[in-house]
Amino acid sequence: MKRTPFAIALVTAWVLILAALGWYVQKDLVIGTDLRLFLPSASTPEQRLLLDEIGEGPASRTLVAAIDGDTPEALADASRELVAALSDSENFRVVSNGDVSFDVIPDELLAYRYLLTPTLDTQAFDTAYLRRQLDDRARDLASPAAGMLEPILSRDPTLEILTLLQTWQPLREPNRLYDVWFDTAGTRALLIAETTAPAFDPDRQRAAIEEMQQAFAAIRTNENMHLIISGPGAFSVLMEHRTRSEAQALGTAATIGMIVLLFIAYRRLGSVVLSALPLLTAGIAGLLSVSLLFDAVHGITLAFGFTLIGVAQDYPLHLLSHARPERSPLQSVRELWPTLMTGVASTCIAYATFLFSGVVGLSQLACFTVAALVAAGLTTRFLLPRLIGESSRDFGASPFLGRLWSRIASLPRPRSIAAALAVAASAVILFAPGPMWENDLSKLSPVPPDLLMRDQELRSHLGTPDLRYLLVVEASDDAAALQRLEDLQPALLDLTQRGVIAGFDDASRYIPTAQRQLDRQQHLPGDAELRASLAQAVTGTPFHPDAFEDFVRDVARARELPPLTPQALRDSPLGAVLDLLLSHRGERTLALVTFAGVNDPDALHELSRDGAVLLDLKSASESLVAQQRTHLLWSLVIAAVLLVAVIAFSLRRIGRVVRVLAPMALTTLIILAALHGAGVPLTLFHLIALILAAGLGLDYALFFEHAAEDPQEQRRTLHAVLVCSISTLMVFALLALSDLPVLRAIGLTVTIGVVCNFVLALLLTRETRS
Amino acid sequence: MLFVLAATLPGLLPAATPPENDDARALIATLARPAPATIDFTEIRFSALLKQPIIVSGQLAYSGPDALDRRVTQPYREDTEIRGNAVRVRREGEPERNFAIKRAPELQLLLRTFTAMLQGDAAAIEKNFSLAATSDPIRWQLVLTPQDARLARRVQHIRIDGRSDLPRCLSIVNDARGASIMLLGAATHVQMPPVVTREWLERTCSAGE
Repeated sequence: MKRTPFAIALVTAWVLILAALGWYVQKDLVIGTDLRLFLPSASTPEQRLLLDEIGEGPASRTLVAAIDGDTPEALADASRELVAALSDSENFRVVSNGDVSFDVIPDELLAYRYLLTPTLDTQAFDTAYLRRQLDDRARDLASPAAGMLEPILSRDPTLEILTLLQTWQPLREPNRLYDVWFDTAGTRALLIAETTAPAFDPDRQRAAIEEMQQAFAAIRTNENMHLIISGPGAFSVLMEHRTRSEAQALGTAATIGMIVLLFIAYRRLGSVVLSALPLLTAGIAGLLSVSLLFDAVHGITLAFGFTLIGVAQDYPLHLLSHARPERSPLQSVRELWPTLMTGVASTCIAYATFLFSGVVGLSQLACFTVAALVAAGLTTRFLLPRLIGESSRDFGASPFLGRLWSRIASLPRPRSIAAALAVAASAVILFAPGPMWENDLSKLSPVPPDLLMRDQELRSHLGTPDLRYLLVVEASDDAAALQRLEDLQPALLDLTQRGVIAGFDDASRYIPTAQRQLDRQQHLPGDAELRASLAQAVTGTPFHPDAFEDFVRDVARARELPPLTPQALRDSPLGAVLDLLLSHRGERTLALVTFAGVNDPDALHELSRDGAVLLDLKSASESLVAQQRTHLLWSLVIAAVLLVAVIAFSLRRIGRVVRVLAPMALTTLIILAALHGAGVPLTLFHLIALILAAGLGLDYALFFEHAAEDPQEQRRTLHAVLVCSISTLMVFALLALSDLPVLRAIGLTVTIGVVCNFVLALLLTRETRS
Repeated sequence: MLFVLAATLPGLLPAATPPENDDARALIATLARPAPATIDFTEIRFSALLKQPIIVSGQLAYSGPDALDRRVTQPYREDTEIRGNAVRVRREGEPERNFAIKRAPELQLLLRTFTAMLQGDAAAIEKNFSLAATSDPIRWQLVLTPQDARLARRVQHIRIDGRSDLPRCLSIVNDARGASIMLLGAATHVQMPPVVTREWLERTCSAGE
């Protein structure tokens, strides 16, 4: 680097400004992780519901926990203690393990039992009924169940509490050992926890998971006892951590490799270090622009953005490769600038089309990369040349590069090969079997498949309903929703009887409409009446005449109670179930009917009437992904058109334009053919990586085209493009090794792209000497 | 060395002092029987809710450490089957009832004491109870006091009265008003008075006959 006072002042100022901006940006940088930012906005009710569910629906907030590593009895104890330890937690709305004992019903709800169970619909509390019940209770007292029932008998001689608990049992009861949920093998105690934080709030999810783990650590009885926590929230915590640590590890390896490579290539440590400044500037400019224009920067934007602006590292490398003794760096950069600017401008324009993709995450990405690349381009043009010292060597004079170049020049370059490659690639794309696109939304998630499978396995043990099909009933409020559900009951029962479904669940099972509750209240006997029937019934039984005062009091209370509202039930231990089935979306109430064992999905469509919508979440999510892809593909088409326009404007001659664009276009076809031929369905991540590869190819071709006739310039360009492509190849080949599907997708795509682009740019771009 | 304390209230006995424990262990060792073992019972159930006790009778069949059947034949039929942790109660004209044995502490106690007694295994009993025994050459009495505080809230103590190597009574005492007293084997043939009281049962159980 230069040692002039000006250069030293400039580099100091540059570094200080970067540090200040960096500090300012990270100070209030909000990193969001809501996946919905990367999905298009919903255009159908199904999609809207799907997005709600993904983001903050109770399903997304439900964690499944499993405890293993001890005897079932010890596991059951641990399960109970865990529930007790977390019962007052702010991080969890509710944690349940299936242990329904009488005390799970809060005292203030107990009197409601007569309004919530169907007993009074068909049965009057008369002498005959009470007598039958008391006779049974006498037998119960002489049975082994006595210890369990005796404490509640005086309050509940008809065992209405048991009826209520049975009504509230899950649709398909999971295996139980020692009264808590277990898997079918009896080796893992299972729990369900609903967090207060949505799934895509990894900070609060982490707090919740850590709290659960700490609570578990305090109660575990031996070293072998383990707690497994699974579910969207746990995944988002895990993935954030894994992506970060893996990206960090790969990033470190790439950085070290890069420094070594650049040092070997240039042997000028000062220049190599200085060449990192444009990239650094790019990163900070990108962050700054996104944080100024958007509320929160999505984690994926950051990860992608930093990957995509790796291309900015190439800009200073071109400058370094073209430096030579008799020219100042400033002169060199002036010669390079038209080519460099064309590259920067065309790449920026390609990314800018994302701004209009209708997907917030992609707009952020566009904003980030455009700002970053412009910053890197401008600093390479205006600041960097004033810092690096004059070069003592000229790569244009390198005999090695000269030999390499002439060898490449002597390679046959029939245009027909390019045409044949294009045809072959197109054929593979069109005719290779297997799906072209990944429509499964869950595949967008970077969660390893084995974790997803374990999650599904745990959930199947818990008998959670098949959530693919849902009947959605929208109503103005809770009461109206419950009424609609009650009206649907005959149709649902009919479907169950016909075997279309094995069963169904909805909020009306847990809480009847106010009207129904009032009807049941009407059937409750008056105080005097009840006392008379009871006195008559007790005579002739072994019970004390006044043993059931608590019962009489509860019935009297039940007669006066206002009907139970869903809101009151929400705050009870049943809240989690009810929340799942009856939730609020703004001013409206959304009621869900879930199904178990759907045998005939078509028949379910009978239910879609009067505002009830049968939802196929799978097709809704597929349509959403397809829609997202359509947005993206249109962006790509527009990007391609603009790119051609920029290149045409810059190069002016049709022959040059074709030579520059051909390698990039052919590479894109080859990447698509390679991925599709290998049976890899394309995702959002592949498409974005494709643009990166195209940008790189365009740069290579532009520089080769620029070098055209001058042999020394050709060698310098060859040097520059070699260094650029090898460094890029190294970084992305490392990414391709990653376990994480996202990183692998990007790595693989760009690796193929770099190799193809380099080779094809070399072969196709140079003008053939006639 | 043996004291004759036939009418002493069991609760007043000093619990778990070594000499008594040795007696208790020796005593329990003499009670061992190979499975399966069957014995007649008459259970008299007292509760604060009841103005008079409920009396049922039938057989207890023990077929291994985790398997006990309680078959009521009088005054109605009811079968209780314990297999491992699961309890199944079937009563004529009613749907079957299933629950985990933890839900029925008395039943669990019954199973544990039965198992330990029939295996002659005092150590198993001492895991959960403090043990005390009194005996004369013919009659004996074992008192088991639960050590677990939660269980102790429901069950004050279990008392087993016997004669030579046969148990006569197994009483699970909840409190002053609640208890389940089971006459076993020969004791089931004792003529009952019109009003059965706990005092009468106390006498019958500890009687040498």
